[in-house]
Amino acid sequence: MTLALIGVNHKTAPIALREKIAIGRDDLAETTRALAATPGVAECMIVSTCNRVELLSVVESPDAPVAGFLSSYFGIDASILAPHLYEYHDKDAVSHLFRMAASLDSMVVGEPQILGQVKEAFAVARAAGTVSGQLEHLLQSAFAAAKRARSETGIGSNSVSIASVAVDMARKIFGSLEGRTVFLVGAGKMSEIAARHLVQQGAGAILVSNRTAERARRMAEEFSGAVVPQVIAFDQLYEAASRADIVISSTGAPHPIFRREHGQAFLQKRRNRPMFFIDIAVPRDVDPEMNELDGIFVYDIDDLQQVAASHMEERSRQAVDAETLIAAEVERFQLRQRTVNVAPAIVALQKKAEEIRVAEIERIHSRLGTLSAEQLAAVEALTRGLVNKFLHPPMQALKQAARDGDESRLETLCDEWSVSSAALAEAQPASEPSAKTEPESPSAEDPESKRVLNLRVFEGGKRARR
Amino acid sequence: MYLLWLRVAAVLYAGGCVSIFPAVLSKSLPWRKTCVHLGGMAFFFHFVSVVEMLVQAHRVMPVGVREIESLLGFAVAGLFFLAWWLYDAISLGIFALPATFLLVFIPSLGPDRYWFPSQRVWMSWLVAHIIALLLAYAALCFSLLASMLYLVQERRIKSKFKSGPKAGKTQRWQPLEWLPPLDTLERLALATLEFGFPCMTVGLLIGSVLVQETSLGAAYFLDPNILASFVMWIVYATLLLLRRGMGMRGRRAAYVSGGALVVMMAVWAINFFSQVHRFGPQ
Repeated sequence: MTLALIGVNHKTAPIALREKIAIGRDDLAETTRALAATPGVAECMIVSTCNRVELLSVVESPDAPVAGFLSSYFGIDASILAPHLYEYHDKDAVSHLFRMAASLDSMVVGEPQILGQVKEAFAVARAAGTVSGQLEHLLQSAFAAAKRARSETGIGSNSVSIASVAVDMARKIFGSLEGRTVFLVGAGKMSEIAARHLVQQGAGAILVSNRTAERARRMAEEFSGAVVPQVIAFDQLYEAASRADIVISSTGAPHPIFRREHGQAFLQKRRNRPMFFIDIAVPRDVDPEMNELDGIFVYDIDDLQQVAASHMEERSRQAVDAETLIAAEVERFQLRQRTVNVAPAIVALQKKAEEIRVAEIERIHSRLGTLSAEQLAAVEALTRGLVNKFLHPPMQALKQAARDGDESRLETLCDEWSVSSAALAEAQPASEPSAKTEPESPSAEDPESKRVLNLRVFEGGKRARR
Repeated sequence: MYLLWLRVAAVLYAGGCVSIFPAVLSKSLPWRKTCVHLGGMAFFFHFVSVVEMLVQAHRVMPVGVREIESLLGFAVAGLFFLAWWLYDAISLGIFALPATFLLVFIPSLGPDRYWFPSQRVWMSWLVAHIIALLLAYAALCFSLLASMLYLVQERRIKSKFKSGPKAGKTQRWQPLEWLPPLDTLERLALATLEFGFPCMTVGLLIGSVLVQETSLGAAYFLDPNILASFVMWIVYATLLLLRRGMGMRGRRAAYVSGGALVVMMAVWAINFFSQVHRFGPQ
């Protein structure tokens, strides 16, 4: 089994291409299931945001047609898509996923939305039944690593995000945002965050409109703060927009909802007072041509990226630290995976030793005569202790070889201790961290495993007495 | 007696001039009413003055420059009120009322030349004239500068900071990072115009009073420099009307300001062709 990650993001593909393969929240489960049905795909999930579409899958071989899925599913010529695609396998895929979740691969390094979006994609995939052991373990580790990166470095501080960049741009146009009217079109999380930033800067009124009125109302209710948002019916969109100084649009509309003629009408109604359109929807909600109108300023998600570059510098130092931390986390994950892989061999070794011990006790049971229960328990403890002490060095050696990734030494150790390498070979390629092969559970050091072994010995002893 | 009515009319026209600007530029209803009332009363007293002047002289034809000026002012005011009555075109008052006031002001001083009580008083008025006009030109310069900076800042924001070869690089656009926000520049351009326009008006009025003491008379107003100054006043009023009254903003307003800059340069250049009013070495 191989871990494969294929996708496009804001660095490799222009918005015009990304918007063609963007997957809406409502279609994500269905698309994930379609990917899972692709031959050779064992597990999968899809992360689709305004900046990226990434397919993460566990495939039977690296040749599985995952890359072809994007072009065939969205009906885009593979030759058009191919130059913009990136593909990572195994360790590289883990590294990319960890960096993405930690927001190190984001347009604005340290922005907090991406972690939530990856979590949401994972939840959708889990609900769709397309993830199990391996991706489950990988994603949990990615979330933990991202959390560490945010809490232990400064990448999450100073709130540099698309939203704050948008606020900066609004200040370049309007100066003070005191008393300005903000209109949220579409009830997206990102637009809500941007609106909160604007209110913090003094924006005086918030208007909210969504195709689904109920959702707009819910968003308005959730928007607790100094300003109480006013819900606008979607059919009064243009009338309300002309009252707004700043329009943040994030609908899922397939075509622009604000076009040049709307812009001209707004300006006429507003007596040429300027308007700032922040278009964070993919596909775009605001026709780029509107930016040509005198007094209307349009920034889409790619434009904000350009401006975000200036804010990146502040975070570059923290990002270096975060990169180091993530690299260590990736290494730790790999290590843990390798340790997980050696677990079957350790279990086999313990099982073999236990069988020998129980057999020896049974063999000498008749010669032990009539031992009291306390004496029998002492013998049990003695033999158990001896076995554990003898097993400690080989177990450590196996673990160390696994940590070092030394395959030949692992095989040698298995041969030396007459442990079947079949279990090892079986576990290794899949790196399956299932409950049965979790290293912690069967380990000799683990109290739970000790309890299981003791029980077996005790049962063996009882059988011997009988 | 006609002189008294003319002076009353001049004072009322002056009040109308003051009230026409908030009435048109801020669309203030109280100011509009005030302006119409003051202007209407001024027109009435002006009419009384004109009739009395002609009846007293036992003729229907005006004689002399001052009488013609007064009648011309009466005609301008009459046309303005006609336009207001027929088309509600009160915004024309921005040009008509100050022009009428200017035309009435000189004749209202009397049939003879006005003589200042002393050279010192005359000098004080001259200083006030110079300061008012310099302030007006300085304000206009500032307004034009703000408009030019607006164009630069607007271009930066519109182009999303991609104008340079190293698009998106911070270093490329940092040198212009000090530029104020667009709204600030817009306000600055308008505020300086609003400050400069009264200065320009006062400066020209004082100049008109000062010149009647000279022997040049009406010929003075045919001098290219003086004519250009009045053109400049019209440009000023037009800029204000476009920005404040008609809501012209942004790039278009900045381009119009660019046109005003050209006019201003022309006015300064014309100075060198003037025979009667020339700055610097004669």
